[in-house]
Amino acid sequence: MDTDKILGLFREITTAVLIEIGLVFAVATAIVVSSQRVLPWLAEHLHGKQRLFALAMVPTIRVIVFIIAFLWVVPLVIEPSMQNMVAILGAAGLAIGFALKDYVSSLIAGIVAVYELPYRPGDWIEVEGTYGEVKHIGMRAIEIVTPDDTVVFVPHLKLWSTLIFNANNGGPSLMCVVDFYLHPEHDANRVKHLLEDVALTSPYVQLAKPILVIAKEEPWGTHYRLKAYPIDPRQQFQFMTDLTARGKDCLRALPVRFAQLSPEHAVQTGPY
Amino acid sequence: MAESNHWQLIPLGEFERPDAPASTVIQRTWSHIRKLFIAEADDNANPDEQDFPHYREFELEPAVAAVNAAWQDNDDPPAVRFVVSPPFSGSGAILREWAKQNDYQQLTPPTVEQLETADTDVWWQAQECERWLLDEFSSFWLRTTDHMQFMRALLPRLLRGELGSGVVVIDSWTFAFLKRAWPLSLPHCYCFAAATPELLKQSGIVGSEKRLKNLAARSRGNLGVALALWAIQQDEQRSLPHLPSEAGDATAFILYSLLLHHGLRGEDLQRVLPMLAPDQLDVQLLRLQQNAVIELDDDRVWRITVYAYVEVREFLAARGYWLDEF
Repeated sequence: MDTDKILGLFREITTAVLIEIGLVFAVATAIVVSSQRVLPWLAEHLHGKQRLFALAMVPTIRVIVFIIAFLWVVPLVIEPSMQNMVAILGAAGLAIGFALKDYVSSLIAGIVAVYELPYRPGDWIEVEGTYGEVKHIGMRAIEIVTPDDTVVFVPHLKLWSTLIFNANNGGPSLMCVVDFYLHPEHDANRVKHLLEDVALTSPYVQLAKPILVIAKEEPWGTHYRLKAYPIDPRQQFQFMTDLTARGKDCLRALPVRFAQLSPEHAVQTGPY
Repeated sequence: MAESNHWQLIPLGEFERPDAPASTVIQRTWSHIRKLFIAEADDNANPDEQDFPHYREFELEPAVAAVNAAWQDNDDPPAVRFVVSPPFSGSGAILREWAKQNDYQQLTPPTVEQLETADTDVWWQAQECERWLLDEFSSFWLRTTDHMQFMRALLPRLLRGELGSGVVVIDSWTFAFLKRAWPLSLPHCYCFAAATPELLKQSGIVGSEKRLKNLAARSRGNLGVALALWAIQQDEQRSLPHLPSEAGDATAFILYSLLLHHGLRGEDLQRVLPMLAPDQLDVQLLRLQQNAVIELDDDRVWRITVYAYVEVREFLAARGYWLDEF
């Protein structure tokens, strides 16, 4: 391909075109940056669905602005014919494919994530053993904050091959599970009703959602799992602490003895 | 008097909240948006110095007549009737007056010991009577596991008619909670119909039809709240109290507990909210009191003020709380 043919693919870049590209870039950046600042601030003043909706708007706005800016700028630089587009974008794609494969893969996964919604800001997700709240969805990676206040960056690339566990899936409902291990000699139905009342009388509980108690007999005693939803997913750890503290008090008062587990029978529960 | 009486006691299922005119809805939405962005400006007011007018209580007699009219034709009355009472609606006072006129004995609430042992027999034997009124159904118990046992033992006995014929006045917030906590829906539930412009006029509120409609909608058809809002509107120097800008999860827990139990003493609040440290609870209560959102009455019971009720309800609704139906 000679030089004339390559140059023929592009339009003449005048000062006016450069200014227009600069303006498009500046306006797009301004919209994206302000949406990243204003919407999270607004979300902090809202609760429940409204908060999650405001947070979810951040990546959506960025992708929309990015596409509009791209469609605006490309015809300014390239002669807009099908042949030219295929030639330029094909060559660019080949170069990127070799040099920046993972980076571009993350960018594309980031765009896919906006539509497939495997995670949204405000969601509580677990990726490869790391659990936390999605604080920010960037172009290449997401930022999640663990319960120990550590920020973990997870590239969107994980979307292609890793299982992503989303605890609340864009809504304000997040089930919490609290375990109780009891000595086998007790009235199981009484314990079940009591644990249901423990959840029902918790100030954190979302009354609109179900409360469930499941019992399982083990060689060392009975394993109870109390399942309920907090009003706000951010309260999950305080909720579980409240259920545990009051549940233990009520069970002691019943009275029920707790199981004494030997180390070899210690139950491996979930990470949190 | 019958022709001009706009009080109505209706089955709960027939209650309809008055709709606000479109202009009021827009104004309210705009006010919410403004509050989001200029919340700090509201803090400049010093609500502690505001002397809120005591809203004038309405006449009970027309409301009592409405109760008589609703129940007089029933030849085979149910064992127990429930009257669901939104906060500040005055339903308790109305039913107490009605009970006095109809020889219904007012029951004394169970003691703490009876509640904790779920002993409904001992409680009932002490005051056995044919016809009774239980007007403190929302305030005698606490949201704890042992008190829930008492409620679960009491409700079936009431419905089976084992305790004779009676009327239970239950706060709308308690009713909503019990609907969730107890699998069986309560039968024979009544409430007063939403306040209309005609009822507001009958209660002494003066204004144009549009203004009265706005007032009825803003108070969600609650006459007590409407009277309080109207009293505030009469004085341009005064404004409604607002929640403090620091209001958070702990504030919401306290406000919801006060509504659920029709007010609580400090020590009872601590029992239903054990995860709040005593000093944290005190700070929250004092801050809410300074903002005139709650008040401490002569019996040392913390209650939400009638002027703050609409804002408190909106605050809890925005946080996804389980609300009453009014």
